[in-house]
Amino acid sequence: MRVLVCVKRVPFTGGKMVLTADSMALETRHLGFTISPHEECGVEEAVRLIEANGGESVVLTLGPPEAAEQLRDAMALGIDRAIHLQTDGQEWDAQATSSAIAEAVRADESASGPFDLIVFGNESADAGGYQVGLRVAYALGRPCATGLKGVKVEGLTVRCEQDVGGGRDVYALPLPAIVTVKEGLNLPRYPSVPGRMRAARKPVATSNPARPESQLQLIRLTVPGGSGRQTKLLGTGPSAAPAVVGMLREIGVA
Amino acid sequence: MNPIAAGVLTIVMIAAVALFGRRAQLIYRLIRKGKPVARFDDIAGRARAEAVVVIGQSKLLQRMVPGLMHAAIFWGFIALLPTIFIAMIGIVDQHATLPWLGRQGWYALLVDVFAAVVLAGVITAFVIRKVQRPRRFAGSHMREADLILALIAGIVISLLLWHASQIALGLNEYPAAWAPISSLIAQGLHHSWTPYLERGAVWAHVLLILGFLVFLPYSKHLHIFLAAVNVFFGRTRARGRLEPINFEASMDADVRFGAATAADLTWKQVLDTVSCTECGRCQDVCPAFNTGKELSPKLLIMGLRDQLLSGATAPLVPNAVTDNVVWDCVTCGACVRECPVGIEHIDHIVDLRRNLVMVESRFPDEAATMLRDVDRAGNPWGKPQSDRAHWADGLGVRVLDAGEPAPDVLFWVGCAPSFDERAKQAAISTAKLLKEAAVDFAILGPLESCTGDPARRMGDEYTFQKQAKQNVSTLNEAKVKKIVTTCPHCFNTIGNEYADFGGRYEVVHHTEFLAELVREGKLKTLAGDRTITYHDSCYLARHNDVRDAPRELAAAAGRAVEMPRNRERTFCCGAGGARMWMEERRGRPINEERVREAAGTGAETLAVACPFCTVMLDDGVRTTGAKLQVIDLATLLSEAVERRRARDSAASTTDG
Amino acid sequence: MTATALVLMEEGEPSEQAAFFARGWGDGTVHSVGVDAIKPYAPDAIAAILQRAADDLKAVAVLAAGTDRGNDVMARLAARTGLPFAANIVAADPADAIEVTRQRWGGSLLENAILISGRPLVTVAPYAVKAGNWPGPIAVDVKRYIAELDPRDMVVQVKEHIDPPGGGVSLAEAKVVVSGGRGVGSKEGFAIIEELAGLLGGRVGCSRVVTSAGWRPHTDQVGQTGTKISPDIYIACGISGATQHMAGCKGAKRILAINADAEAPIMSLADYAVVGDLKEVVPAISAEIRKNR
Repeated sequence: MRVLVCVKRVPFTGGKMVLTADSMALETRHLGFTISPHEECGVEEAVRLIEANGGESVVLTLGPPEAAEQLRDAMALGIDRAIHLQTDGQEWDAQATSSAIAEAVRADESASGPFDLIVFGNESADAGGYQVGLRVAYALGRPCATGLKGVKVEGLTVRCEQDVGGGRDVYALPLPAIVTVKEGLNLPRYPSVPGRMRAARKPVATSNPARPESQLQLIRLTVPGGSGRQTKLLGTGPSAAPAVVGMLREIGVA
Repeated sequence: MNPIAAGVLTIVMIAAVALFGRRAQLIYRLIRKGKPVARFDDIAGRARAEAVVVIGQSKLLQRMVPGLMHAAIFWGFIALLPTIFIAMIGIVDQHATLPWLGRQGWYALLVDVFAAVVLAGVITAFVIRKVQRPRRFAGSHMREADLILALIAGIVISLLLWHASQIALGLNEYPAAWAPISSLIAQGLHHSWTPYLERGAVWAHVLLILGFLVFLPYSKHLHIFLAAVNVFFGRTRARGRLEPINFEASMDADVRFGAATAADLTWKQVLDTVSCTECGRCQDVCPAFNTGKELSPKLLIMGLRDQLLSGATAPLVPNAVTDNVVWDCVTCGACVRECPVGIEHIDHIVDLRRNLVMVESRFPDEAATMLRDVDRAGNPWGKPQSDRAHWADGLGVRVLDAGEPAPDVLFWVGCAPSFDERAKQAAISTAKLLKEAAVDFAILGPLESCTGDPARRMGDEYTFQKQAKQNVSTLNEAKVKKIVTTCPHCFNTIGNEYADFGGRYEVVHHTEFLAELVREGKLKTLAGDRTITYHDSCYLARHNDVRDAPRELAAAAGRAVEMPRNRERTFCCGAGGARMWMEERRGRPINEERVREAAGTGAETLAVACPFCTVMLDDGVRTTGAKLQVIDLATLLSEAVERRRARDSAASTTDG
Repeated sequence: MTATALVLMEEGEPSEQAAFFARGWGDGTVHSVGVDAIKPYAPDAIAAILQRAADDLKAVAVLAAGTDRGNDVMARLAARTGLPFAANIVAADPADAIEVTRQRWGGSLLENAILISGRPLVTVAPYAVKAGNWPGPIAVDVKRYIAELDPRDMVVQVKEHIDPPGGGVSLAEAKVVVSGGRGVGSKEGFAIIEELAGLLGGRVGCSRVVTSAGWRPHTDQVGQTGTKISPDIYIACGISGATQHMAGCKGAKRILAINADAEAPIMSLADYAVVGDLKEVVPAISAEIRKNR
């Protein structure tokens, strides 16, 4: 079996947004980096699939040279090798990212055979474009189910489970297929140190694709103000209970 | 001279020594096969430990009755050593004895007295074990202990009977007047069978000793040889320092990720396990054991010993020791401090953790978030580092920029005081006091990153070393010489452990620094009417011997009273060993136990010197409803300084 | 000849907001295609229908709500047409080169960008804009498009639906949600949260810290990477209000925050606040509710 998982290097912000002086990016001076949360589950799922079925797993990222750290992290969990589409640090929009990834997939598949499954995160933590996985699927002509909390390969199909308002919707896609997954799919393992040491020696194929013109061009970033809600203090301690219940009655809940 | 006796004795001796030697060699080999660890420094300190702990029986004498009981037997054993040879000579030739010593009256007196003392010790031991039945023996091999005590009794009784019958038969080479007890017994031994008693007693004495010699290496009595050795190789300084792992070993196979099987234990750890006497003192003081958790330090060491001696290659966890036992530990060091034979239980626990975390990734889930946050965010709560200096807003505290050289004193705040609501107060008070005393200091702000202590105590040495190297680099770049910190864990890690990574600084705890300022008169205080009981932090009082400075501050702030378990016998708050980030799922909460002890003193103020203790004990006060206020010593000192200032200004206005 | 906008409609407020917002494009006319045009849900087919409808109507823009389904279908439409797609916008300035303001980091950060496209494809961030009173969009007759669907567009289709275990309303649909955060302290501590939720006929939620500690399952998590909720009232107990969490509950009509720390971010982001220890306040509220029943 062959599985490809795609990841993105994102800053670990701790919930706080601090911008650079030119407001074009996040100030990352005091920040660590990580693989986007949905994708961490994707990596874990890929490792489990190969552990169960044998074969090869590959991790791919489009990102600056530092993104090699995220590739090593993925390989420390058990991914066999990596593909690094290296950028100069400039942002690539979703369309550009998708076409570069599709290109790289075609190249790798012509050399090593098709991927049964390609795993993406539903959306990246930072840009939140919600489209890279789907664009790659259309480019490669493969079926894709999104926002999955359950992925199970059964013979020549993959059973996909998606959370909807009440309960779950299930799809069955013929392989080769593409899935985008959400956090909650599984609980990623903690990397072992021997795994990290082995990862340091696993192969990474690096290339530098040319960045095409963007059709969604960033002008600036801003940190939004408050929620717009005016907070009313109902009281302090248990003595606030009557005020609270009064409010709940007013809105017809209590 | 009896050639047959000599012949039989020789054969028996050779047999005994051979049997003893075979087993002793097995144990020696096990120790030699242990992984390397450096314990050959500070010979002077080690010799001193021998003198005080072994010869002086210092740790045992902390409990007076059992201590005296053991000292009696131990010192008796030393004093009576030559009588083994005297007896052997006596078997071969009834009329001969050890040259010179065998004729000395004072030695005869010594022997008589110590034989009686040993016997008294054995009787006391039996009373303790059979009548008093202390809980610390739960899980120990009682029958084996009974046999050992019986053998000791047999040895001294046979000795006394031999001497008594010698005196009755006039065979004594030493003046009988100097052996009052033997003489007294001799008075009842003027019978026709006395010569047979004399031969019987001396043979019994020697055979019991030789039999004991054979039995010894199969029992916990082995400690009589190994305890002295184990104490010699114990830590003498930087007790809070754990051994680092060298991840850069050229071959993966050479890197030791803690202990997975018995073969991974270091020689000191092997020596630890075979030195254990199953006395249970460690168990008695363990906060986990005393609150209903699975962990018993004694049973831990016994479990490891049994697996080691059985030669089994199965993983130590869960076969010798369960997972729960490994994670219950708070690394408070009470067990290590209490152990009379120098066992260092924390090293075992941490090595077991290292394997579980770094190789098997098998540990409580809730701690994984903490480890990832330390790695990615630089603090265990995943809070933004750019907010790290927010606690100091409005205080006029200088924050260093990257590369800027540090002033005289670097105030290392720590993650908890930087981000936790309750722990912040200590940092704020300390900063205000430092300013008041005109100390030239600065903080690192966002450049300060977690010291890595929680990762290291969890067993994630990899993440710890990443943090250590990063912080050492930051500190060295800023040319830091002296560090003051409010957190005992930071204090321990930076002061004792960063040296292994190129970081050598003078590190002082904030209570020590502030106490010095008070002594120098740079901070003037006036005590108030609070009754204060001070909770010693494990990482201050036990691992690093800081016990007096905090008490100076408490005394300066109010009226101080002590809890029963104070100073180096302090009872942990429950946060150590990275347990701050783990759920307490069994037994009673450790922090509530300590809060009850504090409330029992009648004090209304519970003084602390550690951000973890602050949070844990405050939680404990809330859940138990105790009438206590948990306050850091820096804040109490701040109050005392304010009080003094108020009084002085009131006095000056009335003067004017 | 109208210059209409086309919007994908689902049940619920976010679509109504998107449709209202769509009036800002073209001449204010808005047509719509329902996401339930194909049952069961088949996103590629819906995207194909939208594409045909947009072409036939010469739509000046295609919009949808930034819900799971909305983003799913619109991204497919973007992929099949090769057009750029801006997800979760909160504002737009339609001109030749449209400037849109869209959400990054689940709404914690805003991006102003120029969308260079002959036919803008966007989704509107839920609860970021208000829907006003208006007659609503004109439904497009899609029968013809359905008849002409390519079978390949039906490969991705829901085959089966699994109901939630234990029945009852899911977190995402609950009208009342009572959540606990780090302040609850332990798994057992959630008993008082469950009590209050039960009395109000609501569901229990929690923050990411709680699921990481294993006190509650991930299905209870409210937040950017958990469930997005839109209850009538959201009661957050012992939750500090980190932006990732707030991203999950901004659909709530009202938020009541109970926290011992008056400075916690949530205390100025909520509609109502009570400063106090949740372990005392929550049972007090439950007791007060019981008193008058």
